[in-house]
Amino acid sequence: MSKCRELDALFAPYADGDVASGDRASVEAHLERCPPCRTRVAIQRSVRGAIVARRPTLQPGAPEQLRARCAEYSRALPRPSVASRLTSRRWVPLSVAATLLIAIAGAFLFVLNDNVEALAAQMTLDHVTCFQFAPERLRHVDAATAAHDWAEKQGWAIQIPASSSTSDLELLGIRQCTMSSGRVAHVMYKWHGHPLSVFVVPHSVAALHDQQEVIEKFGHEAVVWADRDRTYVLLARARPAELEPVIGYVREHAH
Amino acid sequence: MVFRRRPTSSVPPEGGSASDGEASKNRADEAFSREALSYVDSLYGTALRLTRRPADAEDLVQDTYLKAFRSAGQFQRGTNLKAWLFTILHNTFRNMRRHDGRSPIDVDSEYVEQAPARAGHDYSPEELLTRATLDADLQEALDALPEAFRQAVWLRDVEELTYAEIAAVLDVPIGTVMSRISRGRRALYERLHKGSADATDAERSSDERTQKADAV
Repeated sequence: MSKCRELDALFAPYADGDVASGDRASVEAHLERCPPCRTRVAIQRSVRGAIVARRPTLQPGAPEQLRARCAEYSRALPRPSVASRLTSRRWVPLSVAATLLIAIAGAFLFVLNDNVEALAAQMTLDHVTCFQFAPERLRHVDAATAAHDWAEKQGWAIQIPASSSTSDLELLGIRQCTMSSGRVAHVMYKWHGHPLSVFVVPHSVAALHDQQEVIEKFGHEAVVWADRDRTYVLLARARPAELEPVIGYVREHAH
Repeated sequence: MVFRRRPTSSVPPEGGSASDGEASKNRADEAFSREALSYVDSLYGTALRLTRRPADAEDLVQDTYLKAFRSAGQFQRGTNLKAWLFTILHNTFRNMRRHDGRSPIDVDSEYVEQAPARAGHDYSPEELLTRATLDADLQEALDALPEAFRQAVWLRDVEELTYAEIAAVLDVPIGTVMSRISRGRRALYERLHKGSADATDAERSSDERTQKADAV
């Protein structure tokens, strides 16, 4: 009987023909003289057979919208080989020259007669420099505490979307950035391990009419939207479709 | 959500046009995406078994594809892409669970341990099961199985993963996978077969004594 117990776990792989030859020999030797274990093996085959025969009813099939959304991800995301290159590049600090170049380009774009475009350029610059020059200050912070400190120091209240495990978003800090449009709150996150910024401008920006805009700057996507009397810019190095879930999360929690 | 994209007036994002090398890489990437997406029904069916709620199952599958495409560079070509996707799915599910504050996996071994004891009698199980089992009965029996056992049996008999692949997906030793499948199938059999073929009491009690101490 102890042999029965010893070999018990092997009955499934033996019945499926997925067992090492040494194990197969011991099982077969035992089955020769043990009718109950022959039944046990037969039961393994029988149950497997019943499940295999009913696979179609066990697998309901994915809903069409889900299929479409997943297919969309494959188109929208950086392709595999590109993705790995991007991943290793994202955290490499820009050289001083590159930063300067962006600064000059930013200044140039700034004179464009389009403040949404200029805002995106300016913020991309801030996004890059803040993450580049202040990484030692960046660590996990609590949203409520950060919002409280901000209101106390800056004099205007802000609702900061907290870290979210479902969105893989970690709140790292908030700092004040000064731009032509005045004081701006720069909320910094780590999103899937990479920098993501949310800028909150305490007034509305002309040329943006209750609509969401995506502007590409220096390989970053700036998603700009207005809500009540505030303007929000979400910025990361990713594609719009990839950003969609996190935009939804931020929009929902930024008020 | 409506996106209005402005024409770009700045530097192009990632190096201009694709070279020949990049073109062939793109083809490989496309093949990867296509194969990955061909498993959406399997992943959804499995997610539905795990979460038991269609909305959660959809979230789980979406997360799985997001992660898969994002970390496609880590996939080793030549290995089983389906098993790799299932590993991501199960890891994501375990993380979801952890954040929910629910216990990771409830291994109700006692339930299944009783199963081997009852199956020692003399009839042809092959015949009895395949003819008499109804779809609904099988669904119900699978749902009644403790999760750890159901996952292992499901990946083997519905998804056709090998024992080694299942061990990787579930992150348990291969011996545990074998044991869970052997016991899980036996418990299914017992449940499906209840009433139509009872073991004699004598046989059952003697078997139960020997099996009592048998731990997973």
